[in-house]
Amino acid sequence: MTKNISPSELYEKMLKDENITIIDLRSPDKFKNHKIEGKDNFRILNIYYAQMIETGDIDKDMKNYITKNLSNAISKDQPIYVICSEGGTSEIFARNLSELGYDVYNVVGGMKEWFNYYDYKTVIETPELSIYQVSRISRGDLSWIIISNKEATIIDPLRHIEKYTDFINQKGAKIKFILDTHAHADHISSGPKLSKILNVPYYLHPYDAIHPIDMIPGKLNFEYLKDGDVFNLGSAKIEVIHVPGHTLGNVVFLLNGKYLFTGDTIFILSVARPDLGGRGETWAPLQAESLYKLTQLPDETIVLPAHFSKISEANEQGLYIEKLGNLKKTNDALNLLITKGKEEFIRFMLSSLPVFPPQYVEIKRVNAGLIEVDDEKADELETGKNVCALSQAYV
Amino acid sequence: MNYDVMLDVRGLNCPMPIVKTKQELNKVESGKILKVLTTDKGSIKDFQGWANTDKTIELIKQETEKDENGKEIYVHYVKKK
Repeated sequence: MTKNISPSELYEKMLKDENITIIDLRSPDKFKNHKIEGKDNFRILNIYYAQMIETGDIDKDMKNYITKNLSNAISKDQPIYVICSEGGTSEIFARNLSELGYDVYNVVGGMKEWFNYYDYKTVIETPELSIYQVSRISRGDLSWIIISNKEATIIDPLRHIEKYTDFINQKGAKIKFILDTHAHADHISSGPKLSKILNVPYYLHPYDAIHPIDMIPGKLNFEYLKDGDVFNLGSAKIEVIHVPGHTLGNVVFLLNGKYLFTGDTIFILSVARPDLGGRGETWAPLQAESLYKLTQLPDETIVLPAHFSKISEANEQGLYIEKLGNLKKTNDALNLLITKGKEEFIRFMLSSLPVFPPQYVEIKRVNAGLIEVDDEKADELETGKNVCALSQAYV
Repeated sequence: MNYDVMLDVRGLNCPMPIVKTKQELNKVESGKILKVLTTDKGSIKDFQGWANTDKTIELIKQETEKDENGKEIYVHYVKKK
């Protein structure tokens, strides 16, 4: 009997750091572009199904291949999770493994489902204030829903709008406005679309409505954010702090003086890179200044970022959040800034830049309203994990 | 585009287009070209990925045709080396 497992069940096992072996049956090209990444007890093998096919009798060929080539690599005592592009090939392979006596799970829907799977976790839930973490795990993208007295907002909404509207409806709340910390380069924001459909304002800093590489104004319907603005949401207050560096219009949101939605500034493991606007050397000093300003907030401030790089950054509740005071010690980049000063930190940032993904220029065009793309093209642009942090976050 | 054998695997999804193509290739001599018709859109990238790893075949060309109902057919020309 083949057992099925959903992306959310698999993710919960990965969070608990259970012993996991995944066999990914896709071609090496696809595997290289995007694969599941886990914690310490996680192992993934790329075994391309086409290389198993000899006679064309698929069950016979797969069993032969398993017996001949896999018996040393996998064990019958530990569960094996099998995944492919859309779930068809993995189902056949899982059945064959299972018939040979292995403990197998087929990951339903394959990488297509995994890619678009969103996880929901609760940070706090009271009538006066609820915060929910909405994460697209495959990409390491985080967004946040805040609800106070039935009024809701979303910070950095990701592409799939129903992931937000359904959840907020279920909570009996109504979206009052939408906030983006900046014009994202790695993923498509649903802010403009949500704003249009729900007829609520979409807020962005005006500097980020200009495409930084094309140097032309975007075509967006949005309301201007500026430093010091305060939003009322139910009984909650959200304050805007302008922190240019990752982008020129980058802002963070401080909720009730305690929860700091850092967007792409401070992450759990690292900090945001300053070069995605194409002007790393010019923007790095701004980024250093902005990050330093944020470290001056109280140590008790809770940081809620827009990305994670590794699942191991999650705490026991599966939340990618941490107190600022702790991050000043554990986050290497932030620690360097505090202990060695801005000059050395700038040198460090500029020597720690990962590859610039070329599609990021195009994604910014979408987010500036300069071009429109369909879902298929959007999936292609968003392939892979975000690369918004400095390079040590990906080692 | 010239070909020697036509293989119609329309209606089949991954992994069957490649499985059937491999089976057919077993029957022909080297140098022969197979024209494979599929309706699974994923087969476009699948055939490319396969050709990148399998040294015994060459993906000569891929194109899109329409059937009589206007439905898209993905056509792959695969040569046995």
